[in-house]
Amino acid sequence: MDSALIPKGVKRCPFPQFILFIAIVGAVLLWGVYAMLLCWFKGLNQTNMNDFYGFALWIWADLAVIAVGGGAFFTGLLRYIFGKDELKNIINYAVLIGFICYSSALLILAIDIGQPLRGWFIFWHANVHSMLTEVAFCLSCYFGVLTIEYIPLILENRQINKVPFFHHLGHNMHEIMAVFAATGAFLSFFHQGSLGGVAGVLYGRPFAYREGLFIWPWTFFLFTWSAAACGPCFTILITKITETVTRKKLVKDNAIELLAKISGWMILTYSIAKTADTWHWATVTVPSLGQTLMDFYSNNPFYGIWILILEIAICGFIPAFILITQKGRKNSAALWIAVFLAVTGVCINRWVMVLQIMAIPVLTFENWVMYLPSWQEVATTILPVAYGVILVAFSYRYLPVFPNEPELNPIETLPPEKEKAVEPSVELEKELKPAEA
Amino acid sequence: MKQKKAKKYGMVIDLDKCTGCGSCMVACMAENNVPFRKDESNKVLSITWMRVYKLTNGKPFPNTDICYLPRPCMHCEGQHEGHSPCVSVCPAIATDYSSETGVVSQIYTRCFGCRYCMASCPYHARYFNWWDPVWPDGMEKYLSPNVSPRMRGVVEKCSFCFHRYQLAKEKAFMEGRRELKEDEYQTACTQACPAGAITFGDLNNPNHAVHRMVKPDPKHHGRPTHPNAFRLLERLGTNPKVYYISSRDWVRRAGDNYLEHEAELKQTVHHG
Amino acid sequence: MKIGRRSFLSFLMGGAAGTALSPLPWKLMDDSAIWTQMWPWTPVPEDGEASYVNSSCTLCPGGCGITVRKINDRAVKIEGMKGHPVNNGGLCILGLSGLQLLYGPTRVKTPLKRVGKRGQGRWEKISWKDAVSEIAETLGDLREKGQSHTVGLISGSDRGTVPRLFERFLTVYGSPNFIRTPSIIDSYELTLHLMQGVQALPGFDFENANFILSFGSGILDGWGSPVRMFKANSVWRDTGAKVIQIEPRLSNTAAKSDKWIPINPGTEAALALGIAHVIISESLYDYNFINNYSSGFDDWKRFVLDNYGPDSVATITGIDDRTIIVLARSFARASKPLAICGRGQGITPGSLDECAAVHALNALVGNVNKHGGICAVTEPDYINWPEAEMDAKASAGMQKDRLDDAGSKKFPFSRYLLNRIPEAINSEKKYPLNTLFVAGDNPLYTMSDSKAVKKAFDKIPFVISFSSYMDETAQNADLILPNHVYLERYEDIPTPAGMPRPVIGLSRPVVKPQYNTQHTGDVIIRLAKALGETLSDAFAWDSYDACLKETLGYKWRVMVEKGFWSYPGFVAQPREESFDTVSGKFEFVRKGTGSLKPFKPVKIEGDKTNYPLILMPYDSLRLANGVIGDPPFVMKSVDDTVLKGTDVFIEINPKTAGEQGLREGQLAMLSTPVGKAKVKVHLFDGIMPGIVALPRGLGHTAYDEYLAGKGINFNELIGPVDDPVSGLDAAWGIRVKLAKA
Repeated sequence: MDSALIPKGVKRCPFPQFILFIAIVGAVLLWGVYAMLLCWFKGLNQTNMNDFYGFALWIWADLAVIAVGGGAFFTGLLRYIFGKDELKNIINYAVLIGFICYSSALLILAIDIGQPLRGWFIFWHANVHSMLTEVAFCLSCYFGVLTIEYIPLILENRQINKVPFFHHLGHNMHEIMAVFAATGAFLSFFHQGSLGGVAGVLYGRPFAYREGLFIWPWTFFLFTWSAAACGPCFTILITKITETVTRKKLVKDNAIELLAKISGWMILTYSIAKTADTWHWATVTVPSLGQTLMDFYSNNPFYGIWILILEIAICGFIPAFILITQKGRKNSAALWIAVFLAVTGVCINRWVMVLQIMAIPVLTFENWVMYLPSWQEVATTILPVAYGVILVAFSYRYLPVFPNEPELNPIETLPPEKEKAVEPSVELEKELKPAEA
Repeated sequence: MKQKKAKKYGMVIDLDKCTGCGSCMVACMAENNVPFRKDESNKVLSITWMRVYKLTNGKPFPNTDICYLPRPCMHCEGQHEGHSPCVSVCPAIATDYSSETGVVSQIYTRCFGCRYCMASCPYHARYFNWWDPVWPDGMEKYLSPNVSPRMRGVVEKCSFCFHRYQLAKEKAFMEGRRELKEDEYQTACTQACPAGAITFGDLNNPNHAVHRMVKPDPKHHGRPTHPNAFRLLERLGTNPKVYYISSRDWVRRAGDNYLEHEAELKQTVHHG
Repeated sequence: MKIGRRSFLSFLMGGAAGTALSPLPWKLMDDSAIWTQMWPWTPVPEDGEASYVNSSCTLCPGGCGITVRKINDRAVKIEGMKGHPVNNGGLCILGLSGLQLLYGPTRVKTPLKRVGKRGQGRWEKISWKDAVSEIAETLGDLREKGQSHTVGLISGSDRGTVPRLFERFLTVYGSPNFIRTPSIIDSYELTLHLMQGVQALPGFDFENANFILSFGSGILDGWGSPVRMFKANSVWRDTGAKVIQIEPRLSNTAAKSDKWIPINPGTEAALALGIAHVIISESLYDYNFINNYSSGFDDWKRFVLDNYGPDSVATITGIDDRTIIVLARSFARASKPLAICGRGQGITPGSLDECAAVHALNALVGNVNKHGGICAVTEPDYINWPEAEMDAKASAGMQKDRLDDAGSKKFPFSRYLLNRIPEAINSEKKYPLNTLFVAGDNPLYTMSDSKAVKKAFDKIPFVISFSSYMDETAQNADLILPNHVYLERYEDIPTPAGMPRPVIGLSRPVVKPQYNTQHTGDVIIRLAKALGETLSDAFAWDSYDACLKETLGYKWRVMVEKGFWSYPGFVAQPREESFDTVSGKFEFVRKGTGSLKPFKPVKIEGDKTNYPLILMPYDSLRLANGVIGDPPFVMKSVDDTVLKGTDVFIEINPKTAGEQGLREGQLAMLSTPVGKAKVKVHLFDGIMPGIVALPRGLGHTAYDEYLAGKGINFNELIGPVDDPVSGLDAAWGIRVKLAKA
């Protein structure tokens, strides 16, 4: 039915099956959209946020998707600036995942603010001293960059590419992609950092507050670092999941392994930095404010010291050690575990830096306040996941996301109804070329 | 013309006199058109610009003691003027620090409800309008035109009754005066407190009662030098303009976090 | 023309680019910002000319002066009146919320007549004319049948023109059943009557006292005139006066006092006598007063010395004898000591023995009718109406015994005994009540043993409420004749509770009546005129306002201007003239009351085996518990350890809770011999083990959604216990059982 749209040389599931899949995920999406509309029309009373939890699940989701979406900028940086050529086979997917993450982040922000129609005040009445202003500007700009990076991939759709204008547009955009990759990396450095700064500058909250360099608290650098370290792991994780779901090998091992290796070293150095930061904070900053480390991890039903151990040791050092060793990288199960832990680690870090801050009392006569999200919050947080799955499904089905796919999965027997659509393999290679350029 | 010295309006609350009667809370609500809902027992959703906390010393019967502590917005000055925890983080300049009066304002029509300021405030002095404000039929008649009711989705907080300052300034101007007298600008809570526990005035003016009561130390960001006076979370360096007085040691100690071995009111200099 | 794909795409892109470059998006953005600032459902208060009106608050007997800020014809804020002798600028939480009552949803907007069953809430509007003639008809019939004495009236006060008009009405109509809402004032009046021979109110010169010995009085919890008490407390903080608070629970008063002494509840009288024992045995008393101005001291001295040694008092009260001795010495040695009683806000009159024992302490240290002491304040007699003429029917009715036995052989000294009314009606021993007027009280909420009260009300065929608000009593009435709210009417406010000098406040209209209401004073006058005969002669005034103006005479103009009339030249009577007893002196031994019988604590209901704990109420300014319920603002101020959702918390010592297996926040079932209620547990170290405390003021079934259905009305769990001498309600608590729910 839609075979004319499917890239040449690859096999896709039957259209009805695809539609069924989209329908199921679409239902989840609609549930999220319903919750979103509730929040917009009825207000944020639909959430379980409160005056102690001004930031909650959504801000965590925002920080988390941006952190894991960091794979796009870092892979781009490695591919285009540091010239790691092996990564060309995964860069498309990294960009797509980044695009999904960033568009999701913007959507969540649009739901999260109390006056969505005034959201543009952040640009119009910008306070340059606010970390959130920096976040908003860099995030929007980088989303623009990601869109520009994603467009050429769309233009490679078989039918769109037939239009000479789009063909040439796509080609020319590829040519200048290095400029955008550099811009993206620069912007990402700042907005990832400013997201860290969001928490780090809160000098009224000893749990969040960090000293730093000039105007930037240490969390600024730690956030950028952790996003660069764990973002690629998320790219690998999603690639692995996609491979599992499609039951195909889509990316060559060398690309994955290179990314994993770089990621491993990044995670290791990040974990060391994070440990040093935590140590300094716990032994110098916190006591100077009259508190001890354990004040932040006791007298409450949930947040124990386990969360710190889980974040740094189990989800930091362990994946780092797996990924920096060749044996670990090459072992599929170990790789799975490592990327999963790394992604979990960065998500826990973002959770702690948003929700635990809110939970901890600063006034001596206040108590810990716990929070459970409402279904509307959960639904609107799942909404971008469903949206991401759908976008991945469409992109995978209709766009040449994985340049290695035809090579890794040669089509042996063609289904009779598709026979006509098959073109000579020489042409097929030509078709795929722009993506490799 | 020589610039007149800026004002630094502040408040001193005598906890020995405060009886926890709640008049300040309601005077504030009535003055500032604060909305209310059917159930206000969930205090993390209840807008109370002025909130009276009940502190206990944690000792068993019969050595138990309680103390009430009214908490308005602290109108923090921060380590340098205007670097309040909340003002510095607002992305849209919807909350601002007045260098003329030291009052931290909130511009409701500018605020788009990101709630970053709430996250930054260790005093929980900021409140979000989770709901549309609704007054039962007819009750909107008592709303004051001097304070605009807030729409859903924005943050609000104590303004030190800034509209009263504006009205007083206007009046003074009409009478050809440039300076306000001490009693011309008083907050609604100060005025209503039946115990006279709240004093309000210019901390920079040595003739004002607030200055005489706590003797702020200009070398240490206005830290009180009176032995019974303290500020909430002094060590964070928020530099609040609300001072408390208590003759009870445990109450003063409850004003900040201390390590076990530390004596209270230690002369620590903020890390920043 | 065929639109190709390319031209279509070009059109789309061109259109998009064109729109983006046009002013349209910018205009829309700007509009969106403006629109969100002016949502039509967010009210914009109308601006206008600001003005201020001085008046008086009537929401409690405190009598504070208020200044109401107005914008055009709207009242926008109530503030305390500067320079007022009672509150001088400050105001309590309830007074500050007054506008929520004025403009609130609980107002009764027009006279209503019941159409459904009682309490069903089905009403029909009725004109004032019809309402008055309906009552006149019923009252006329009863009077014709010689049943005039079966008409009763419950009034919040017996002072001031409106209660006096009611009293006058009942007198010329022919009913002795004018009943005042009880309070500690009843016990004090009785004590002053028996010990000093006067009919007067107690006045306390708190501001000038320097050692306050409070037997559980909630000085900072709404006792007396609340704002005045707060101010006095601040004076004490400044002057270094000492406050000793004696009660089993760490109330706000106890927390602010210089020393809190927990006591076994109900044994306060024994402690007072124990203190007297120390003062007498150590000869610390005021010789001048005892020798020259008192009578019966020797008998009383023997009685005290024989029975109340510190060690035996220690056993009774649970306070160690050393503390008692120290306390007695510091009290007696203070230059201006003052002992007071009345638990909490003084809502229940309490035991007469106790009040007398505490008052005797004041006499011992000679601070009666003295600077910084207690004095008997006679109400200035500004209401001088011509004697009303009673016809034969009226005289016959007035000669009937009161339904509550006040003034009878059994309780010869008491004036009103509202607590005995439900039993009198329910037992059907005397005579029925055929018509009941309720003004300034909400007995279906405020009287203890709610079930019995409801049962009694059900037996009264005709109940008329004058309430401005749809309260519990109005809800169960047959006819509601809504009074103007205090901000819409003129009325005199007699001397506030506990003031040592008389002050008359004036409540005056701040805004014009918002609804079809009428001044209760006018309704009485109209009713009297409708009944004709001697009644219309006794109520010759054209209107209530005319009556008030005439009554106040020359004071009127000053009061309208200032808002009050004070008696700056007032001095308490010199001691030589202040005792109107047989001896002409202060009587330590109260004649005819068996006051030298050894102390027996008031026995509260319930046995120890079935009800191992003791339930006591506590009062808070943030929970109005009288005729007025909490307005929304005040409800908002209630702590979440008092009320959460619709659940009220009991306070209980962690030790006792542990014994009962109860944890913080847990649901529990509270059962007393009178009633049951589901409550939540709040552990509080500041309460004596074995005691459970529940706040008064919750559990309303009437009023609005902001108040109704939240918590438990304490009165559902307790019944009255008659004091053997006065007949007043002496119950200070009730035994209770607490179990996991």
